[in-house]
Amino acid sequence: MKHTKKILALVLALSMVFTLCAFAQADGVEPAKEITLWTYPIGNWGNEATVNELMSAFEADTGIHVTVEYLDYTNGDDKVNSALTAGEGPDLIMEGPERLVANWGANGYMVDISDLFDDTDKAELIPATLAACTHTSGAIYEYPVVMTAHCMAINKNAFEQADALQYLDLENHTWTTENFFKAVQALYDTFGDTVAAVFCAGQGGDQGTRALINNLYGGTFTNAEHTAYTWDDPKNVQAISELLAADGIAFDASLQGGDEIAKFYQGVLKMAFCWNIAQQLNPNTANGPAEKTATGDDIVFMSFPSETGESSLQGGIWGFGIFDNGDEARIAAAKQFIKYFCDSEHTADAVKAANYFACRDTAEGTDLSGVWADNAIMNEYTKLMPYLGDYYQVTTGWAACRTAWWNMLQKVGEGADIEATIAEYMAQANEAAAG
Amino acid sequence: MANGANHKLSRTLQRREDATGYLFMLPSLIFFVGFVIIPMFICIFMSLTNANMHASKEVSFIGLQNFVKLAKDKEFLAALKNTFIIVLVSVPVVCLFSLWVASVIYNYNGFALSAFRCIFYLPVVTGSVAVTAVWKWMYDNYSGIFNIVLKETGIIEKNINWLGNSDYALWCIILILLTTSVGQPIVLYVSALGNVDQTLVEAAKVDGATDTQVFWRIKWAQMMPTTLYILVITTINSFQCFALIQLLTKGGAGTNTVMYYIYYTAFKLTEQTGHFGYANAMGVVLAIFIGLLSAVQFKLAQEK
Repeated sequence: MKHTKKILALVLALSMVFTLCAFAQADGVEPAKEITLWTYPIGNWGNEATVNELMSAFEADTGIHVTVEYLDYTNGDDKVNSALTAGEGPDLIMEGPERLVANWGANGYMVDISDLFDDTDKAELIPATLAACTHTSGAIYEYPVVMTAHCMAINKNAFEQADALQYLDLENHTWTTENFFKAVQALYDTFGDTVAAVFCAGQGGDQGTRALINNLYGGTFTNAEHTAYTWDDPKNVQAISELLAADGIAFDASLQGGDEIAKFYQGVLKMAFCWNIAQQLNPNTANGPAEKTATGDDIVFMSFPSETGESSLQGGIWGFGIFDNGDEARIAAAKQFIKYFCDSEHTADAVKAANYFACRDTAEGTDLSGVWADNAIMNEYTKLMPYLGDYYQVTTGWAACRTAWWNMLQKVGEGADIEATIAEYMAQANEAAAG
Repeated sequence: MANGANHKLSRTLQRREDATGYLFMLPSLIFFVGFVIIPMFICIFMSLTNANMHASKEVSFIGLQNFVKLAKDKEFLAALKNTFIIVLVSVPVVCLFSLWVASVIYNYNGFALSAFRCIFYLPVVTGSVAVTAVWKWMYDNYSGIFNIVLKETGIIEKNINWLGNSDYALWCIILILLTTSVGQPIVLYVSALGNVDQTLVEAAKVDGATDTQVFWRIKWAQMMPTTLYILVITTINSFQCFALIQLLTKGGAGTNTVMYYIYYTAFKLTEQTGHFGYANAMGVVLAIFIGLLSAVQFKLAQEK
């Protein structure tokens, strides 16, 4: 019996060592001991203290040191593009498929990480997230880890004051187009000023304006194949016309998404079109109380209004990709990093740090469905997840399209002919889509 | 014989002095060649290609195609027009305003003169991001001080979207540019006024010249080299207006400039074929305009 226990312990120990060795040298390459990660501010993945904890744990478990650099959405792309041009890109990058797959992946900068997905992984991951991370060539350039649905928010106290709460379905966080415009009018009658802004000073937060315009009357942004932009959909034209005609809504070319959130947080605007769960938990990233404005008003997240009340929300997917720096050892270490944070018991930590939802229910046997079980706000927010719509950000020419979109909004906001302006800027976007 | 030996010695000394001079110049010459001359030629070369940031895409020589495309590019032409507006407004205003301020504060005593020089120079030494952030706050559509004051005094009824309305945005940016551009010219003019030959001034006064005549006929003429320097520097700075646009409007609301469009094409339109080549072509056009205008300014100043 004594010997049996010893043998069993030895076998277990050897199997652990063997597994670790196989894990580390999957491609027969000794992983590098130092790699670099550049991350955009995805929840607390932009927070140095949180990321340091995660990196320390990773280093303790694998012996790989990760040097992290923090990017912002204003200049992050420029920094990455400049580094790629100079041949000095990082080993790992954390962002969404619109950058990792449609841009850098499509242009040959990323490593195909298909080998990281076995059948179990493919079964565990939400199909839409894996599809978004897969290039048309079949290569996978991103390992998705977290996701969310972008939504909008309203100032509940202001709505109460304007007697506009009647237009909201607070139980399901939905409302109809008709009720949206009634609420805008009621707010304008009460406050006598701009109550919501179709912000268009830049591309920051533009998922909000796209979702608003597309949902109001059911318009589309791209075709189903993600090969062309379809802004000239008459339903979009109708939506823009109605928004322009509404008292209390301004097409504001001095605000971007972040500015709009700040104005909403200050109580100046009564609605924000650039919102998601991260904002709901930490409005304006001001580290104040959750679900409260600076003046203490209650913030309620809402889906975008649509004719039926059932909207199609813009999804956000974030994960890791590997830049092909031609060094197999660094690539092996980067793959080890990805497996560690996207497909192991440590995935829960990566998800919690991001303040978003996991892209899978289980990871290597670890149940992720209860990651947010103790968080009432996150639980409530799951009501919006069924409304996740098409992830069209992977359409080619995305960068040019985004600029064309906010320029178009500025022009129509200044009174230019809506149909002609949409056609002009959509043509620019489609030219980029055609390559 | 002795003369020949002396001549040889002086030539040797001359050569040594020349060599010493060139050696002193060498460090800056290396930087100048490495970071100005070579990039300039690379820029010209790339403007004739369809180069882009993606190494995987083949680069080929396309002649003057980028320049032909520029001539038809509405965005570029609008940016060029805005750039010229900025130059044509800011250069004379900066020059005249700083001349006026310098001539007024020059008559003050030492402490007041230094204080004014500091005040006008402050926006120059303050980081452009900090200055722009303050201006952005003042221009704010909802709670900016300009709107509050104008509304409180009854001049306007509704808030003006200073940076979001194409009727105002470019002028708002020119105003900021002026405040950050006048500091150095004021300091230079004050210093130039100090170098004016006082004997000429006194002689003119003895001959019965008025203050205005003394200023324009005596002082202004002697400050011409300073004026030329200020004109050229302000012109170049105005042509290269970028940070304000990047920080305030991202080229929207009718404020796109050539410099911003170059940046945008080179670093944002990375998916567009040949975007580096196209951005370089814009750079070449901009350099030609700057060179031409500077040459005109030199010529006019020489004639004076």
